Amino acid sequence: MKISSIGGRRRAAMKWTGVGTAALLVLTACGGSGGDSDGDGSASGGGNPSEFSFLVNAENTTIPDELTTLSEDQCKAANDDLPLKVETVPQTQLDQKLQLLAGQDALPVSFAAGNTPALTATLDEDGQLLDFEKTFDDLGVLDKISPAAISTIKSLYGGKFNVLPYQYNIEGFWYNKQIFADNGLDIPATWDDLVAAAEKLDGAGVQPLSASGEQGWPLTRLISGYIFRELGPDALQKVADGDAKLTDPDYVSGAQAVADLGAKGYFGDGVGSIDYDTAINTFLSGDAGILYMGSWVLGSFADDSLNKIGNDNIGFFPFPDVEGGAGSSTQTPSNVGLPMTFSAHQYNDKVGAWLKCIAENYGQASLEDQNSISGFVPATQPDLDPLTQLVQDQVENTKESVLWFEALFGSKATTVSQTNAAPLVSGSTSAEDFMSKVQDALDSE
Amino acid sequence: MERVLGDKKTILVLLGPALIVYTVVMLAPVVISMGYAFFDGNAITGFTWTGTDNFQRLFDDPDVRSSLWFTLKYGLILTVLQVGLGYGLALLYVFVLQRGSALVRTLIFFPVVLPTVAVALLFQKLFEIAPQEGPVNAFLGVLGGSPIDFFGDGGHAFWVVILMDLWRSAGFYGVLLYAGLVDVPEEMLESARLEGASTYRLVRHMIIPLSMPVLLSALIFSINGTLKVFDSIVALTNGGPGNETTPLTLYMFQTSFSYGDYGYGASIALMLTVLCLLFTVFIFRSARRDVTEA
Amino acid sequence: MRDLRTLPAKIIVAVLLVIVIYPLVWLLLGSFKTQAEFLNDPAWSLPHHWQFSNYSEAWTTGQLGTYLRNSVVAVFPALAFIVLFGTAAGFALEVMVWRGRNAILLAFLIGIMVPGQMILLPLFTTYFQLGLTGSLWPLIITYTAIGLPLTVFMMASYFRAVPREIFEAAVLDGASMFRAFFFVGFPMVRNAVFTVALVQFFFLWNDLLIALTFTNSSDLRTVQVGLLNFTGQFGQTQYGPLFAGICINVFGALALYLVLNQKIMKGLAGGAVKG
Repeated sequence: MKISSIGGRRRAAMKWTGVGTAALLVLTACGGSGGDSDGDGSASGGGNPSEFSFLVNAENTTIPDELTTLSEDQCKAANDDLPLKVETVPQTQLDQKLQLLAGQDALPVSFAAGNTPALTATLDEDGQLLDFEKTFDDLGVLDKISPAAISTIKSLYGGKFNVLPYQYNIEGFWYNKQIFADNGLDIPATWDDLVAAAEKLDGAGVQPLSASGEQGWPLTRLISGYIFRELGPDALQKVADGDAKLTDPDYVSGAQAVADLGAKGYFGDGVGSIDYDTAINTFLSGDAGILYMGSWVLGSFADDSLNKIGNDNIGFFPFPDVEGGAGSSTQTPSNVGLPMTFSAHQYNDKVGAWLKCIAENYGQASLEDQNSISGFVPATQPDLDPLTQLVQDQVENTKESVLWFEALFGSKATTVSQTNAAPLVSGSTSAEDFMSKVQDALDSE
Repeated sequence: MERVLGDKKTILVLLGPALIVYTVVMLAPVVISMGYAFFDGNAITGFTWTGTDNFQRLFDDPDVRSSLWFTLKYGLILTVLQVGLGYGLALLYVFVLQRGSALVRTLIFFPVVLPTVAVALLFQKLFEIAPQEGPVNAFLGVLGGSPIDFFGDGGHAFWVVILMDLWRSAGFYGVLLYAGLVDVPEEMLESARLEGASTYRLVRHMIIPLSMPVLLSALIFSINGTLKVFDSIVALTNGGPGNETTPLTLYMFQTSFSYGDYGYGASIALMLTVLCLLFTVFIFRSARRDVTEA
Repeated sequence: MRDLRTLPAKIIVAVLLVIVIYPLVWLLLGSFKTQAEFLNDPAWSLPHHWQFSNYSEAWTTGQLGTYLRNSVVAVFPALAFIVLFGTAAGFALEVMVWRGRNAILLAFLIGIMVPGQMILLPLFTTYFQLGLTGSLWPLIITYTAIGLPLTVFMMASYFRAVPREIFEAAVLDGASMFRAFFFVGFPMVRNAVFTVALVQFFFLWNDLLIALTFTNSSDLRTVQVGLLNFTGQFGQTQYGPLFAGICINVFGALALYLVLNQKIMKGLAGGAVKG
C-alpha cells in the first residue's frame, strides 16, 4: 500500500482546507491589505520560469554577489532574457525549505542542495536535479570545468556530476610563522611532530590549536584526517559501504588522537562554545599557533580589520602523515563548498544560456573579484596574492583527494558527529562512545 | 429566556468564524500530520504505509528516551519555578508594594517582549568562558572559584537554559497572577490578621484558595509551554553539548526535516501531544481536589 | 512594623530591577561596537568609539524597514481577527446555553497542547495549491488560527466572571443575544480583550517558526526572520548590525509598550470585568 491511499485522504482534506480558507478570505476581504496576494512565479512549478530564481543559504554571500556581477556584465544577455533573482534562507532552515518545495515540485531554477550529500542524493533520486555532465556537453562547455573538481563531486554524489563547483576548496593546517620561528618549530611532517609542536607551544603559553567546537566540523575533520592517513583514502568509503565500522579499533584511534589533544587543553578553554568567528579571530590575533581550515578562510585572512598578524605571516602545511599509516600527506582533503545545483524541471534554453555563461566566466571572475578558487577553469591566469597562489599550487599538485568525516554520512549521523565533537575534546565523551554514537546513527539510516 | 440564550443562529454567527478557522487551519493539519505517523518517508520521496512501526521505534530509540527525560525535567522544574516566582512577584506587588507597583510591574514584565535570538546571545555572553570570561565567570573568579565551561556539559547547560527562560517569563506570570490576587478583598485579610493569623497561614488558607482559578490557568499555560519549548533552546544551545539539552520538539523537528523522516517525526509529536494532555488533565484533577479541601 | 517589611522589599525590588535592566543596557552598548570589539573585549566593556554605522547597516543592508512593514501587515490583521473571533466564541461558549459547548471548549484547549511544528507541512501544501505562497496571507491566516485557542480559553473564563443577570436583563429589555454581545458583553470585557491582544501581539511578533516556513521571498520577511539574516557565511555573525537591528526592534517594542502600558495593566489587574 503506497501513497495512493493517503493521497486521497490528503486531497480530501485539502478540499476542506480550501473551502475554509476561501471563507476566511471572504471574511477578511475588507480587512487590511495583505501584500500582493497574486504572488509571483518565482517558486511555481512547470518548466517555464520567468526568472532565474536562485535559492541560497543566507550565510553564503560570495556566490550571489558574483552572479549579480556577471548578470550586469558578461551574462547580461542571458539576464535580459531571464533576470536573476536571489532568495535566501538561513542555512539551518535550508533542508526544511527544500523538502517542502520539492514535495510540491516547486524548486526554483537553481538552489543550494541541502546541508548533506544525502539530501542531495534524495533530491536526485526524485529526478529534481539537472545532470551537468550531459547539459554542459550539449552546451559545448564541459571543458570549462576542471577534471579534479568533477572527480571530487562524483566521489561525493554517488558518481554523478549534479552540483556545481562554484568553490573548490582544499583543507589543511594554517600556521603562524612568527610563533613557529619564536619557538624553533619546523613544519610537522608527522602527526607525532604535530603533537610535539602543540606541546611546545602550550609550554610556551601559546594556545596551540584554534577550533570551533560550536560548529563541530572543524574538530571532526581532524578525526577524518587522521583516519585517512592511518588507514588510507578509502577508509570512510568502507564505513559507508558497511565493510568496516567506526567502532573498529583502528578507527577509534583516530577519535582518540583528537580527544588526546583536547585532554591536554591544546584547543583552549570552552571549545564547545567557540563559534567560527571566534576561532578564526583567535588565530588572526596571534593568540593561537595553528588553525585547521579550508581555503575559503582566505576571505577572512584578507580582512585587515581582523587579521592582526598579516598575510605574510601565515603559512600552510598539509595534514601530516601518521607513522606507518597507509595514507599520505599528498592526498588533500577537498570539497566544493555547500552544493549548488539546478532544477531539472525548470531547465530550458534560457536557463541553458545562463549556465553556459556561468561555465565560461565564473572561474575568472571569482578569482579576480574574490580571490576564490572555483572548479571552473579561468580563461586567463590573473595575478594572485601569495596565499591564493599557494592554494592554487596545492590544488594543481594534488594527485588524489579525500573527503571529510561526514561526507558520506546521512543527515542524522552528520548531526550526531558534529554535536558530539565538542564533548569528545572536552573529555565528557570517550572516543569509543563518540564513535559508537555516530555508528548507531549510521546504522539507523 | 432559555430560547434566547440558546438561539442557534446567534451561536452559529458568534462561534462559527473561530471554529472554522481553528478547525481548518489547526485541527485538520494536525489530524493529517498524525496520520503520517503511520507512514514512512517525507515530502520528497513520498510516503509508505508502515503501520505501527514508528511507535515501536519510539520505545527502542535512545534519543527519544533522552529527549523525553530532558523535556519532563525541564517542563516540571521550569513550571514550578516560573509559576512560583511569578506568584512571589504577584504577592510582592499586591501586599508589599501595593499602589506603587505599576512601574516595577512594567519593568519586570519587559523581558517577555525581547526577541529570543537577542536573549540567547545575551546569556551566551553572560556565561561565556572563552575567549573572554563572561560576567558570571568573572564573578566566580572574584569569589575564588575556577571558571566553569557552562555550555560544555549538559548539567550546567540545563540550568543556564532554565535561568534564561525564568528571566524571560517571571514578569509575565507575575502580572498574570497579579490579576487574580488583586481581587482578594483587603478587609477579609485585615480581619484575619487582627485575629492573629500568621502571614504563612494567610497565604496558605486564604490567598491561595481564592486565587486558585487563575493559578490553575497559569499552571496549565506554563506546563504546555515548557513541554513544547523550542525557540529558546535552539537559540541558546541548539540542543548541545551532544544532545544533552535536546527536547522532544527539537528532536522531532530534526527528524522530520533534517533527517527526512517525517512519519517518525509525526509519531514523536503525537507522543508529545499526549504528554501535554496528560499533564493538563492531571493539573485539573488535583486542583479540583485541592479546592474542595479548602 | 511597616518599615521593617519595606526595607527588605526595597532591596528585593532593586535587585530584580538590576537583573532586568542590565541586559538592556548591554544590548544598547553592544549595538555601537565594532566586530573586533565584540571578539576581543570582555562582554561588559564600553565601546571604544561609537559605531553609529551599525544602525545604517542594519537599516539599509538589513532592509529593516521592509521587514517592519511586513511584520505590521501580518500581525495586526491577525490580531484583529483573533480578538473578534476569539471573544465572540468565548461568549458563545460561556454565556450562551447549548448542548456540546464543553466539548467544543475542550477542542479549543487541545490547540494549546499541539506542537506548532505539526501543522507546517499540511499547511504549506495547502497554501501552495491555493497559490497563496507569494503573499503574507499564509502568515495572517496561520497566526489567526494559532492565536485562537488561548484567546477563546481566556475569554471564556473572563465571561464566566460576568454575572449572568446582566445579559438576562439586557435580553428582557428586548435586545437580541447578538446585540447583547456587541453592546453589553464586549464592552464589559474590553480590558481583558486588551490584555489578551497584547499577550498575543508579543507571541506573534516574536514568531520565527511560521514566518520562516511560509515566507518564500526576501520581500516578505518579517522582522524576526530578517534578524536571522545578519549571519554570515560559515556561521559568522555580524554582531554590531545584528545588535543594532535588535535594538530598533526592542526599543520600538518598549516605546509601544510604554504607551499602551496603562491600559494593559488595568486590563490584567482590573479583575478584567470591572470595565
